[in-house]
Amino acid sequence: MPAAGPGRRWLGRFALRAVATVVFCFMFLPVFFVAWISLFDQQIVSFPPDGYTFAWYANALSRPEFARGFVTSFQVAAVATVIGVSLGAAAAYAIVRFRFAGSGTLNTLLLGPLVVPGIVAGTALYVYYVALENALDVDFRATLHGLVLGHVLLTIPWTVRLVSASLVGLDRAMEEAAANLGASPLTVFRRVTLPMMRPGLVAASLFSFIQSFENLELSLLLVGPGRITLPVAMLNYLEFRIDPTIAAVATMQIVIIGALMLISDRFVKLSRIV
Amino acid sequence: MALTVTAPAIGAGERRAGAGFSLGPALVIPATLLVLAFLGAPMALLFRYSLNRYSPREFMIDAVTAENYIRFFTDPYFIGVLGTTVQVAAFCTVVATLAAFPVAYLLARSQSRWKSALVIAVVFPLMVGNVVRAAGWMALLGNDGAVNAVLRWTGIVSEPVRLMYTPFAVILGIVAVVLPYMILTLQSVIESIGRDVEEAAANLGAGPMVVFRRVLLPLSLPGIIAGGTLVFILCMNAYATPVLLGGPQFKMMAPALYDQFARTTNWPFGAALAFILMASTLILTLIGTTLLARRMHHRRIDAAAR
Repeated sequence: MPAAGPGRRWLGRFALRAVATVVFCFMFLPVFFVAWISLFDQQIVSFPPDGYTFAWYANALSRPEFARGFVTSFQVAAVATVIGVSLGAAAAYAIVRFRFAGSGTLNTLLLGPLVVPGIVAGTALYVYYVALENALDVDFRATLHGLVLGHVLLTIPWTVRLVSASLVGLDRAMEEAAANLGASPLTVFRRVTLPMMRPGLVAASLFSFIQSFENLELSLLLVGPGRITLPVAMLNYLEFRIDPTIAAVATMQIVIIGALMLISDRFVKLSRIV
Repeated sequence: MALTVTAPAIGAGERRAGAGFSLGPALVIPATLLVLAFLGAPMALLFRYSLNRYSPREFMIDAVTAENYIRFFTDPYFIGVLGTTVQVAAFCTVVATLAAFPVAYLLARSQSRWKSALVIAVVFPLMVGNVVRAAGWMALLGNDGAVNAVLRWTGIVSEPVRLMYTPFAVILGIVAVVLPYMILTLQSVIESIGRDVEEAAANLGAGPMVVFRRVLLPLSLPGIIAGGTLVFILCMNAYATPVLLGGPQFKMMAPALYDQFARTTNWPFGAALAFILMASTLILTLIGTTLLARRMHHRRIDAAAR
C-alpha cells in the first residue's frame, strides 16, 4: 500500500498489481513445475534440462502402482459420486422444500464431513472398519466398497451445499404454473423441477468427483495391497524421490481435473459457487 | 401463497397414497443415516478407544482412563509436535492473509471480462490436490532443484542451499495450499463492500492508506475472521505438505497421528491424539475469532464516538 497522497496513487495501484501478480505466480509455480519436469529427457531432475521427451508418460502408465491407482481412484470417485449426489440431492431437496422441525440441525450434520479433519475421519473409519470386520466377518479395509463408503462422506457436503443453493434460487411460480395447467406432481418434478436443478446437480457431481479423486487423508489408512488410490500411490513414491515419471502421473491428474473444472464452469459459473 | 397447488412431487404423490404422511422430508434420511453410520459412529468409537489402555502385548485393554491424554501433555516430544503445528499454522495463516488481500481486492473490484477466468485460475491449484503441489515444490526446492540452479547460475552460492526438509519449505508449501481459500473468502466480502464507500472516503480527503486502514480493513474484518478460521483449521490438519516437504524429522500433528496407527499401532494414544488435535484447533480458533471480533467491536465504538 502506498503512502498517502494523490500524486503517488498510481504508484500504489502499480504496487498492488505487482504484489497480486507475484502471489498468483506463487500459487501456480508448483503446478507449472510439475508439468515442466514431466517432459525432461533425463532420469534425475536437474536444471536446465538436457532435452525434452514424452517418454515418461508411457513409463508412468506402465508402472502397475500408478496404472492400478488410477483405475482404483477413478472407480471409487465415480461410484462415490453417483451415491453421494443421489443421497445428497434428495436430502437438499427435503431440507429446502419442507422446512420441517430439525431441518437446520440435519443440514449442519450433513455438512459435518467438511468439519472433521480428513486424517481424523480416516483414522476413525479405520478403527470402525476393523471392528465391523470382526463383528460381521466382511472385509472393509483395502476393498472398493470400504473406500467408496468413506468417499461418499466427501461428496455429501458439497452436494448439499450446491444443490441447496440451486433450489433456493429456483422460481416456484414455474412449478405452480405447470401444476395449474394440469401436470401431475410427478410430471412437475420430472419436467420442471429436475431440469431447473440440473446446473446444481452437474456442479455437485463434478466437484464430488474431484474431491474424491484427489483425496489423500481419508484414504491413507483405508487402502491396502492391490487397492491403493492414485494420491496415496503418488505420496508413497514421492517419499523417496521426485523424478519425471511421478511428474508425468501428477500432470495427468492436473489435466483431468482442469478439464472437469472447465466443463463444470460451462454449467455453473465457478466464480459464483466456490 | 396459501393456495399453492404444488406440493412437491414426491411428497404429494405419497400423501395421496398414504394416510396423511408426507414422504418428502423423509428424503433426508438416507444421507443422514450414511453420515451417522460412517462418520458419527466411527468418531464415537475412536473416542471410546482414546479412553482405553495400551499394552504392547495385548494391544488394547478396555478401560476408562485419561492416561493417554495425560501422557500427551507430559511428554515433551508430543508437546513439541503440537507446538510446531500451532506455530506453523498461525504463521501460515498470517502470511496467507497478507498475501491474499491484494489479490482478493483486485479480483473483487475487477470489471474485466477475464474476471471469471481469473477466479477459475485461483480455484484450480486448490483442486489439483496437495500431493501434486508438494511434488512441484520438491522440484523447485531440492538440492538439484530450480531455485538452487538459479542461485548457482547467478553465482550467489557455490554449494546448494538446503531448502527441502526445512520448516521454510513446509511453510511455503502450506501457504500455497491455503491461499486460494483465503482469496476466495476475502474476495466475496470485499465485493459486498460498495465501491461507493471507498469513493466517499476518498472524496472526503482520505488517502489510499487511510481508506484502507479506516474503511476497507474494518469492513472486511468479518471476511478475515472467516477466511482465517478456515485456513488455520486447514493448516493445523495439514498432512501431505509436512510429510513430503518437511521430511521424517519435521513432525506435525496429522503425520504424528497417522504414525500412531500405521507404525506404532498404539490405538488408544493415537485416538487421544486425534481428539487433542481437534480440541486444540477448536479452542485456538475460538480465541482468535473472539480477539479479532472484540477488536472490530472496539473500532466500531471508537468510530461512533468520533
